[in-house]
Amino acid sequence: MKDGRRSVWAWRLGILVVFLGAWEYLTGIKAISKTPGLYWIDPFFISRPSAIAQRFLYLTSDKVRLTLWQMALSTIQSTLWGFLVGISTGFAAGLLLGRSDRIARIFDPFIVAFNSLPRIALVPLITMIFGFGLLAKIVLAWSIVFFIVFFNTFQGARSVDADLIHSARFLGAGDGQIMRTVVVPSTLAWTFASLTPSISFALIGVVVGEFIGGESGGGLGYLIIQSLGTLNAADMMVALFVLGAIGIVMALGIRQIERRLLRWRPEYQRR
Amino acid sequence: MARVRIAIRDLTKTFAAGTREVPAVSHASFDVHDKEFVAIVGPSGCGKSTILNMIGSLVAPSGGEILIDGVRVGPRPGPRVGYVFQKDTVFPWRTVAQNIALGLQYRGVATAEIRSQVTEAVALAGLEGFEDAFPATLSGGMRQRVALMRSLVVNPEILLMDEPFGALDTHTKLNLHAELLSLWGARQQTVVFVTHDLSEAITLADRIVVMTRRPGRVKLIYDVKLPRPRDVIRLRETAEYLREYGEIWHALGEEFQERVS
Repeated sequence: MKDGRRSVWAWRLGILVVFLGAWEYLTGIKAISKTPGLYWIDPFFISRPSAIAQRFLYLTSDKVRLTLWQMALSTIQSTLWGFLVGISTGFAAGLLLGRSDRIARIFDPFIVAFNSLPRIALVPLITMIFGFGLLAKIVLAWSIVFFIVFFNTFQGARSVDADLIHSARFLGAGDGQIMRTVVVPSTLAWTFASLTPSISFALIGVVVGEFIGGESGGGLGYLIIQSLGTLNAADMMVALFVLGAIGIVMALGIRQIERRLLRWRPEYQRR
Repeated sequence: MARVRIAIRDLTKTFAAGTREVPAVSHASFDVHDKEFVAIVGPSGCGKSTILNMIGSLVAPSGGEILIDGVRVGPRPGPRVGYVFQKDTVFPWRTVAQNIALGLQYRGVATAEIRSQVTEAVALAGLEGFEDAFPATLSGGMRQRVALMRSLVVNPEILLMDEPFGALDTHTKLNLHAELLSLWGARQQTVVFVTHDLSEAITLADRIVVMTRRPGRVKLIYDVKLPRPRDVIRLRETAEYLREYGEIWHALGEEFQERVS
């Protein structure tokens, strides 16, 4: 067991080293020797690991006005807020509509219509209403996360086993108790399935918001757009790596919470 | 004879299947007396579970009526009625102890009292050491034991059981028969037990209601004269058991035969 885990990590490390090594090496070979600027693979477009590391150190130093950490923090902040507000409103709405056929029937066309809008198309409107700051980014992330969580919770709330509800009723449960002890726990498993995609989509929403948010919104999306203006691939890569790292950490966090809250599920039982 | 607890009068149920009306139960009438163990047997599709569901307010009758203690059964089950489903209805997100505690929690019983009652129930069901286990780690027999104790811990006066041991192997089933009989012997609920297994019905019940094939009518009501307490294993070797089995089997066999021909 332990050996298996170690070899998995060894493989991962190996792949990473080979990938970065090849990247560094291939972007260093000249197409025609001694002619400057002509490479087999041009680092102008994809930069090189060494250059990226240098830019990373520079961007995290105090030589810049807005450090990488500040930008990352801004992105994380907006993502988490959009994510949290999206989950809670999506969960509540999903539960409400999932348990009430009438309300679900009334709202169905509106939800389908709003959900089919490409959320990116809303960015200018959201920016117009909420300005260039944190709030616009949160609203954008929310508008995506809400629907993902909503649809999953809705399905979950509809598919609560009727016999579990009957058993609870025979044991003397009132409507509120059935909600708390049957519907919510049974729905949570479905809601959790939507959280990992939600966090990625929240990040997408925030970064797109930062693309047009300008400096006042800050964030890694701003760094990317700014690098496009200066044709600086290394800075873009720095931003992408940090975004990837943020994604991994957030997904791991969700998995931990899920493991705790859904510890009753067969896949988390040690036999 | 003890007083009548459940009176079933001219009970009829038709289900709508598309545009057709399918009769499931047709003019069934019988009584269940206080502290009596009644089994309903019949070929599959004879509406025996439907009758149980109507007693438990899960399905509304199309005609006739059901009286519990003289009061007509409404759309919600009364507080004295317990129900054990054939399907596994143990809450998977609650441990064994938390499942058994459910009914007491719903009723607002004090925590200390719940704890002592659950401990007692766990011991009665032979589930010591599994209090904090989640159902996913238990066998089918253990889960059904949890479901049974969960229903019994709130002391229902009337217990409705819909083929509760139907999905279990013979060995587990016999163990649970013995446990059910000893629990019932101690608390003396009024039990209505639906099954397609005739041996199970004879082992457990005081009286057996034999249904015809669909639409289910009451074909005959058989008094099981086997003395109590019963030994679920030895019982099957006795001449009385075999004679009673033969008599009811004959009546049931007619129903199976008509279906085949």
